[in-house]
Amino acid sequence: MDGIVEFFRTAPIPPEVFAPSLGLIILLPLLGAFVCGVFGKWLGRANVHLVACSAIAGAFVLSLMAFWATSDAAGGRVVSMPNAFGLDRDVVRYAIAHDYGTWFAAGDFRVNFGLLVDHLSGILLLVITGVGFLIHLYSTSYMEHDDGYWRFFAYLNLFVAAMLTLVMADNLVLLFVGWEGVGMASYLLIGFWYTDSAKAWAGRKAFVTNRIGDFAFLIGTFLLILTVSAFNRQADARDYAAAGSAKARYEQGLSEKGPVTFKGLEKMALALPEGVGGAVSLSTPIEAGPLSGYTFGGVMTATMLLFLLGAAGKSAQLPLYVWLPDAMAGPTPVSALIHAATMVTAGVYLFCRMSSLLVLSPTAMATIAIVGALTSLLAALIAFAQDDIKKVLAYSTVSQLGIMFMGVGMGVFWAAALHLVTHACFKACLFLGAGSVMHGNGDETDIKKLGGLWKEMKWTHATFLVSTLAITGIIPLSGFFSKDAVFHGVHHNHLHELHWVSGLVYALGLVITACTAFYMSRVYLLTFTGRRSPEARVAHAHESAWHMTLPLVILAFLSVVTLVYALPLMPRSGGGFQPLFENFLSPVLRPAEAVARAAKTVVLDNSTPGFVDYLIAWMVALSGGATAAFLYLKFFPAQVGKPVPAFARAVRRTAQNKFYVDELYEFILIRPVKFVAFILFRVVDALVIDTVLVRGTAYVTEKVGFGLRRLQTGDAQAYAAIMALAILGGAVYALLQVLS
Amino acid sequence: MNIELALFGVFAVMTLVSAGLVITARSPINSAMALVSTFFFLAGIYVLLWAHTVAVMQVLVYAGAIMVLFLFVIMLLNLGDAAHRGRPTVTRILGGASAFGLLAVLAVTLGRTQAMPAELGPQAQATFGTMAAIGQSIFTSWLLPFEAVSLLLLVAMVGAVVVAKSRI
Amino acid sequence: MVPITYYLLLAAALFCMGMFGVLVRTNALVVFMCVELMLNAVNLTFLAFARMHGDGIGHVSAFFVIAVAAAEAAIGLAIVIAVFRSRGSVNVDDIRTMKH
Repeated sequence: MDGIVEFFRTAPIPPEVFAPSLGLIILLPLLGAFVCGVFGKWLGRANVHLVACSAIAGAFVLSLMAFWATSDAAGGRVVSMPNAFGLDRDVVRYAIAHDYGTWFAAGDFRVNFGLLVDHLSGILLLVITGVGFLIHLYSTSYMEHDDGYWRFFAYLNLFVAAMLTLVMADNLVLLFVGWEGVGMASYLLIGFWYTDSAKAWAGRKAFVTNRIGDFAFLIGTFLLILTVSAFNRQADARDYAAAGSAKARYEQGLSEKGPVTFKGLEKMALALPEGVGGAVSLSTPIEAGPLSGYTFGGVMTATMLLFLLGAAGKSAQLPLYVWLPDAMAGPTPVSALIHAATMVTAGVYLFCRMSSLLVLSPTAMATIAIVGALTSLLAALIAFAQDDIKKVLAYSTVSQLGIMFMGVGMGVFWAAALHLVTHACFKACLFLGAGSVMHGNGDETDIKKLGGLWKEMKWTHATFLVSTLAITGIIPLSGFFSKDAVFHGVHHNHLHELHWVSGLVYALGLVITACTAFYMSRVYLLTFTGRRSPEARVAHAHESAWHMTLPLVILAFLSVVTLVYALPLMPRSGGGFQPLFENFLSPVLRPAEAVARAAKTVVLDNSTPGFVDYLIAWMVALSGGATAAFLYLKFFPAQVGKPVPAFARAVRRTAQNKFYVDELYEFILIRPVKFVAFILFRVVDALVIDTVLVRGTAYVTEKVGFGLRRLQTGDAQAYAAIMALAILGGAVYALLQVLS
Repeated sequence: MNIELALFGVFAVMTLVSAGLVITARSPINSAMALVSTFFFLAGIYVLLWAHTVAVMQVLVYAGAIMVLFLFVIMLLNLGDAAHRGRPTVTRILGGASAFGLLAVLAVTLGRTQAMPAELGPQAQATFGTMAAIGQSIFTSWLLPFEAVSLLLLVAMVGAVVVAKSRI
Repeated sequence: MVPITYYLLLAAALFCMGMFGVLVRTNALVVFMCVELMLNAVNLTFLAFARMHGDGIGHVSAFFVIAVAAAEAAIGLAIVIAVFRSRGSVNVDDIRTMKH
């Protein structure tokens, strides 16, 4: 037994040896993207598949090594790295990092190309490369009839590279590179079939919506940079002592690593709470600079709200969620990888990464939680009436992301991250299952026109059932545990002076659970059970090839076994037990806990869910599922041919039209923007730029040139004479300078 | 009055007179002959500056090779006396004036300076300006420019053939 | 000893005479000769400065100037021949192709 433990605690490649190779994890998919994108057309289909899949497989193996290295404790010494911002004895445990040197510097501002893998980014590395590899494998079969296969795999590899950059970045600016990179890859893949204008528009919509969020993200970053410099100006020794640092060390860290490193921001967060004393606290006004007059706490709240807007863009939350359902225009594997498993969870990752800053602002946390809850509820309600299997899954993704945001907003970061991981497995499985259904049924997406597939597509059916149960929250699948962990934390954590939020969000959460169960059961029942619809495109569906079913089986298996993470198996330091995943992420989240305790902004609850909690959640989920089963198996089949009540029709129409949110945006945002754009086009572009600046410049140049042409006599001696005059002038000037 | 200054005076005057003939002679042949004499007197001045090697080179290359080339071209083209010296256009007047102006400026500048030759030790006196010293310098520290110049001469040779030949 | 200033004055005079000839004479061949005069004036300054500093580098420079002058004369005269062949004249007033 000890031998096995020792085996798992000793990384095959020692951390210090492996750390400089971290860049390879990003480089491999990038190389794959380059090869597929540039040479793909000549390489042929099989070679492109080989290159793309092996690039991701290589990245997966390297990620595994990196992950293993973060847990390395060979010889009883836990892997650790020095914290550039802290004192010498202050080390970051369970993390490996490598700094590739300065990326750019301007004045005293500097950004390094530094990569960091700790337990949080490690588990995400495994999800991205692992699920990514399965989806690549799946795509080899799914895209077998598409001519743009090389483009597809190049984009997909590019996406993985960008996502890995996002996750491994050790500072906000590098993270933003990945953030933009995944946005671009997503845009390229949504509009992959760009000849269809609706799909191209969907890509554009996603990109523009994301840009709004990215803008807020950037402003937030700038505010943070200003806050760091203000903090460094005003803090005294006690502040630094509270953060486990000293002024000299902190400044050295700033000059070596720059102000936007997560570790540096963490130190600032540790020094800011009132409880720790010192010259700087949340209510201290900033003295100088553009932010002078505002308090640190106020700026922090504003920053976090800006990051919320940024995360809402990427993670499809209110008010920027509208792009995600339209993003289903892309190929199904893309929906599974980007718009369910990885990219859209970037917002959740961002908040987990900056958890220590987030807990400084209860207002921002409450906003995040409420935004998450409302998004989740709205998306769940819209999903009721959608008939397109991918649209239902898309809204379900929005809804599940809302749940993660609730968790993040209420301070249960570990549960949100766990839900992120389990959701990645079962939602990828659902999407791939949907893709398999479409593949086997002539690209039919309307669930009303499917049905009875359980006989014809056995593997797809089985895996879809497993992941539906997982997302619905049925014991003992992973979705139940992770979702329940979020709701339990939401229920028992309390924000300072905002106690009502916990109750509200928890109540909404229960409603969402029921809704999720209802619409997921509806999709499952309509697609797989009952009789085959008479409107089906093909008479008999066919099961997909092993390239497609194997990933389904693996993902279904994973959506069951990840439940282990939520079980309270590890001893808690204060007695009792804590869930495996909480223990696992504690090296990452400990600073946030310390800040929360000192700032008294969030009362973090440590209890584990009891039997009663489980029972309530289970009953709610079951009731939703049972309602769906009753309606779609018994009630509606019996109602066929009877007139539908007007009220039900109206509700259904409203939900089907997504509560007219798109139309609302069209009316209050897009129309005015278009009008302003039209004015700008007519006045600024057409008149000022085109006529005055462009044509005016050409006109003046032409006239001046026409005049100057007369000076061009062709007489070489005249030119020489002018040269001589110039020389004389220069000589006279020099002489006068010397004489005077 | 020492002999060196006297020699310099003679050579300088003769140089300037010959140069004046170059720019004023009607016939190109006369110009060329005056140029040859300029080169010879200049070589004398070089000797006064202890630049024996360059003086020899001046006579060999300039007075020998380049002037032969000039005379050869003049005879090839069969150029007689110029019918007129050229109309005095604005640019010519301006150019000529600026040449005189430059001379004035340089004269004023040089008139304010007082530079004397370096006092060389016996060892330096023995090597200064000799072929050995120049060769040493060219083939060690100035090798790259030297090779570049040899390449330039090659290019010039090929170029001259290409430009001057009517049909290749 | 003769002061270096005298040599420099002589070089300046020679240079300005050469320049005058370049700017005033119409015969392309004479213009070329005047260019040679200017180059010689430069050579003279090089040598004067070499003597002034007791340094041989000026001699090396003069050597290079002579080589470049040889190349220039070869190409220049070839051009003169080519121009004469096509236009029947070596008068710079007649060669005004460098316009519009």
